[in-house]
Amino acid sequence: MRGVRPEKAGRPGGVYTQVWDGYSLAERDRRWSAVRAEAARHGFDCILVPLGDGVNARYLTQFRASCVVLPTDGREPIAVTDRGSRNAWFPEPRLTTRQWAEPVAEALLDSGMERARIGVTGLRGGIFGHVRAREGVVSHSPFAYVQSRLPRASFEDATDVLGRVRYVKSGEEIACLRLAASIAAAGLAEVRPDLNEPTLQARVLGRMLRLGSEYCPPELSASGIEINAVWGTQIAQAVQPFAEVPAQLRDAFDRGLEYLRPGCSFGGLVDALGDAVRLQSLGAGDDGPLVTPSSPAAIRGLMIEPNTAFVWKPSLGGLSFGRPILITDKGVQQLIS
Amino acid sequence: MRANAAAAGFDAVFVPLCVDGRNLNLSLEQSMGVRSDGRYLTQFDCAAVVLPSDGRPPVAITEEGQTNGWFTETRAAHGKWGRTMAEALLECGLERARIGVSGLRRGRVTHARATDGVVNHTSYAEVLRRLPNARFEDATEVVGFVRYVKSEEEMACIRTGASIAVAGIERMTETARPGLPAAKLYAAVMERMLELGSAYYPLALFASPLGTRGPRFENPPPDLMLRAGDLITHETAAVWGGLIAQELQPILLAGLPEAWKPVVDLQRELFYAGMELMRPGLALGELIDFVNGFGARRGMKSLILMHGRGYGNDGPLLTPTDRGSPELRELRLAKGNVWVWKPIAYSADETIEFSWGGCVEVAERGGRQLVPREPRMVCVA
Repeated sequence: MRGVRPEKAGRPGGVYTQVWDGYSLAERDRRWSAVRAEAARHGFDCILVPLGDGVNARYLTQFRASCVVLPTDGREPIAVTDRGSRNAWFPEPRLTTRQWAEPVAEALLDSGMERARIGVTGLRGGIFGHVRAREGVVSHSPFAYVQSRLPRASFEDATDVLGRVRYVKSGEEIACLRLAASIAAAGLAEVRPDLNEPTLQARVLGRMLRLGSEYCPPELSASGIEINAVWGTQIAQAVQPFAEVPAQLRDAFDRGLEYLRPGCSFGGLVDALGDAVRLQSLGAGDDGPLVTPSSPAAIRGLMIEPNTAFVWKPSLGGLSFGRPILITDKGVQQLIS
Repeated sequence: MRANAAAAGFDAVFVPLCVDGRNLNLSLEQSMGVRSDGRYLTQFDCAAVVLPSDGRPPVAITEEGQTNGWFTETRAAHGKWGRTMAEALLECGLERARIGVSGLRRGRVTHARATDGVVNHTSYAEVLRRLPNARFEDATEVVGFVRYVKSEEEMACIRTGASIAVAGIERMTETARPGLPAAKLYAAVMERMLELGSAYYPLALFASPLGTRGPRFENPPPDLMLRAGDLITHETAAVWGGLIAQELQPILLAGLPEAWKPVVDLQRELFYAGMELMRPGLALGELIDFVNGFGARRGMKSLILMHGRGYGNDGPLLTPTDRGSPELRELRLAKGNVWVWKPIAYSADETIEFSWGGCVEVAERGGRQLVPREPRMVCVA
């Protein structure tokens, strides 16, 4: 898309909203293969990304809105998407006009899934995906309809099948994350404690939009601002207090950077830094693991892996300071210096 | 709303947890619309509500038990919305009741684009499991027809939003020029509206040579440049008090070609003639027929384009592809309706298309613009 006037490239007009879709076909194949492998490991015949789980649908299609059926046996996935949509990953998707239930049921039936074990993303919050949505993100009426059309199939939550794959970033994703981080840095440069809230939001968002970021809402509090810049669906987050960062908080931040390296556990980070720990995976939104002092054993026991990205935002006395980081083979790389 | 519910034979209205619009990734309107009933009844961004029809106060459920001026107490879900909503229904004595659920299906005047509804599956399935003897039926219209007529306070909010959107358009007109990255134009408009206190609602922007139609952008890439001859069309929306206003003003980066002038004139005439017709009691079908026949009487063509304004995804939705179902045609206008009114005029051969519009309220004597402006093409040569 970059550098091309879309109407000359034969893009459809009308209601379709163009979103960034610059990942390569190799990246597409990597994602699909990795999801198939993870789904097979869990014994699913296919993965269904239903209406409501836009984050996972975009991961598999690069469409703004879609539903996906991805058979585990290596067949091509079927994408159901908004009228007018097509891209390099899906030159001929199945198009719909505001009706999702029937086309999704048809996609499952056409894939031979009437008696299958179907892994559904977004039914529950997971460790790696939709971490704050404990009861998931799926839209009820179309999903209930799909279940009624396939009464002999079983539908089970597979949020972490995709979440686990999304957790480890490819080279292309890391490149996008670096660009997002540079946009977040530009947004941070606009933060001034003397600005009122609307003006602060306007300056920060205005700067990031000029640089091409997608919108992801900032969080403002009396003590600081959390900025989210997006490029290639990768969200880079930074947390900046309005006051000077206290030495103790800066020390906690630095100690965390020293700790975080492949092979160490998240539990070890909590043991080392206690109540200050706030670490969350970065990706397309609501990613995990989300590591806090109250994280369950399932998260504390996870080992840190290379090519994962986080916002490391320790908090002390109600004040947070955070920056996006990348875990490499050798340790931590700060994405905003 | 209690009166509507009782008239429909419901013992209570239930607004369940709805999906997250940002994750849903559908249109702007659907994103804002998904949790709009909860917002309407509570002023919380995300809330579920049980409103018994017998006059008892409603019960609201929020994630953390938040409070505000309307609700000094709410039930905290702490992630377990299904259980908490079911408990609220049971405590209201509704275990065998007929419960009207808002958002299971699209409505005529709310959730207008959400054919498949907006309700969160896992939590709603838990409610159904815990109340096996209750009857749950769609009641989207019960809530919708209350939202359909705006109060004076709501009207004032939409008017403020419309004035902010107009300020955004003024910034766009000042800024747009050939050679400017579309992202800079976009950011300048958004920045202006945020400064004025609007909540974030992405500008929808089209920029393509006159006579063509490019894709719709909500975040144009930085290397997409505006060029001489481009027609910039957009939907500029501002949000005040949770209510969304929308204003439109096409901007042409060139002089207006002669062939376009009669079409622009036709659209202006149609805009005012349609407003004159918008009196309380008019059936929507009459308005549709009037607008769609208006151009032909002048040797050109015209089509209706309008949709309700409010908390998001408001109807009626009348577009060139969604117009004139029997249910919509019989819908009657009421004093206090607000829509974005943006009828389309076409040349006889349909090669030229022009739409201009903004927020219009239905008053006793017809439609009235919330921010008076005149339909025209703005040309930046």
